[in-house]
Amino acid sequence: MGDLIKLENFSKIGPFMKLFWQGTAVTVLLSLFTVAIGFILAIVLATMRLSEFRPFAFVGMTKDGKLTDNPTLRAIAKFNPLSFLATAYVEILRSTPVIVQIFIIYYGVFGVISLPKFTFLGFVKFERFFPGIVALGMNSGAYLCEIMRSGIQSIDRGQTEAARSLGLSSFQTLRFIILPQAIKNILPAIANEFVVIIKESAITYTIGVQDIMSAVNSVKSATFTIMEPLLVATAIYFCLCFPTSKLIAYIERRMSRGDRRHND
Amino acid sequence: MATADTMIEVNGLKKHYNRGAIKALDGVDIAITKGEVVVVIGPSGSGKSTFLRCLNLMEEPTEGDINFDGVDITKKKIKNAEGKMVKLDIDKHRQKMGMVFQHFNLFPHMTVLKNMTLAPVELKKMTEAEANEKALKLLDRVGLRDRAEAYPNQLSGGQKQRIAIVRALMMEPEVMLFDEPTSALDPEMVGEVLDVMKELAHSGMTMVVVTHEMGFAREVGTRVVFMDGGRIVEQGTPEEIFGYPSSERLKSFLLKVL
Repeated sequence: MGDLIKLENFSKIGPFMKLFWQGTAVTVLLSLFTVAIGFILAIVLATMRLSEFRPFAFVGMTKDGKLTDNPTLRAIAKFNPLSFLATAYVEILRSTPVIVQIFIIYYGVFGVISLPKFTFLGFVKFERFFPGIVALGMNSGAYLCEIMRSGIQSIDRGQTEAARSLGLSSFQTLRFIILPQAIKNILPAIANEFVVIIKESAITYTIGVQDIMSAVNSVKSATFTIMEPLLVATAIYFCLCFPTSKLIAYIERRMSRGDRRHND
Repeated sequence: MATADTMIEVNGLKKHYNRGAIKALDGVDIAITKGEVVVVIGPSGSGKSTFLRCLNLMEEPTEGDINFDGVDITKKKIKNAEGKMVKLDIDKHRQKMGMVFQHFNLFPHMTVLKNMTLAPVELKKMTEAEANEKALKLLDRVGLRDRAEAYPNQLSGGQKQRIAIVRALMMEPEVMLFDEPTSALDPEMVGEVLDVMKELAHSGMTMVVVTHEMGFAREVGTRVVFMDGGRIVEQGTPEEIFGYPSSERLKSFLLKVL
């Protein structure tokens, strides 16, 4: 067997470093696109979840325009299909493993829809990269939706009541009162999700995305070393994630310091 | 009961929670006339806050109707001038009913001035310049003009509540609803808020006030309503209620609070 890690093995990796740098670029691109897709999806999902869309409201109305006493009819009248769909989506995505979701998207969805095969930036294979960001984006959209929903719901009910009592509509209340306060609360959580995605994106090497992990695999089969390329990957992931989370923590501190000053 | 001057008329108002297991309001009838200062008193859990919050539909009543300016606002749809059924716009009615909360509920991310001008400007009731001018006048009236650019968390509780009152006044409401406006205040700040309310009452504003301040009820109220168990048990002038209470429940309540 011999030693697990040999210093001279690192010199074997030398010629393959280009794969690692390209893998790093892919990982960063993958994460940025994933966050963008996830963020937009989350806004749509959160809006659906918190919407007051009641298409069956007429069922619960009596002829003179009042609410009926019948509890079943009231329940139907209250049913919000948009909120139901969004909730179902979020719960399914959160209750299944990412790898299953990625395989379903890659082999299932994009097995039926064929993507154009081309390479961009010289080393990113579109037909593998695209399913990767779709799958990760769909997954992270579910989590980001929950972050946004809890951010909006964490704002004291009294704020809504005060705004509505002044005659502002529910939309105006959301726009002027709730969202400005909620966004400040959830920014750190959204930034944290970005760090999570950088790490989670490693799983896309299973569908052939040439990220950092796929570089590890290539080096492994070319040089018959495993620990050394893994350590290189560890170092790269750490250098991506650690500064990012430190930056987030710094911004978070800055923001809460502002709060304390106001409290004087 | 309703006369030409009736502003709010409530009939058979009920509010149940948990499918009727809890009856917060169990049939309330009252008519409030223009210019009246109705003070609602009662033990906690008597339904007085729920009653007040039903008046502008912060709580949706289970049963009964609330006529405000001749419109039953508990209806989802009403007949318009042409006799067609249209959706009732509760926001329009709320603009005419100011509300002041126990916990102030100022918007923490806005200056005092912005807190006051947001609604009238967004609802196209006045231009920004007009709103600013009106806000500064109102701030003058409550002695807080120099705090116009402050943020809510730079203010004391008493200041916050005075701002909350003038914020509601910005919409030029026909009636002001007060939900225990002094209950969250330090004792030394209660007076400054009550003074503003007193001045408001003397200016002829119609007011419905839920409070534990018996002194205020006696001095400023034109009518005192005693609630218990989700019903109005007794009502009358302050002299009648405090001087000659007739029901046992009111007598024992007054013994505890006076």
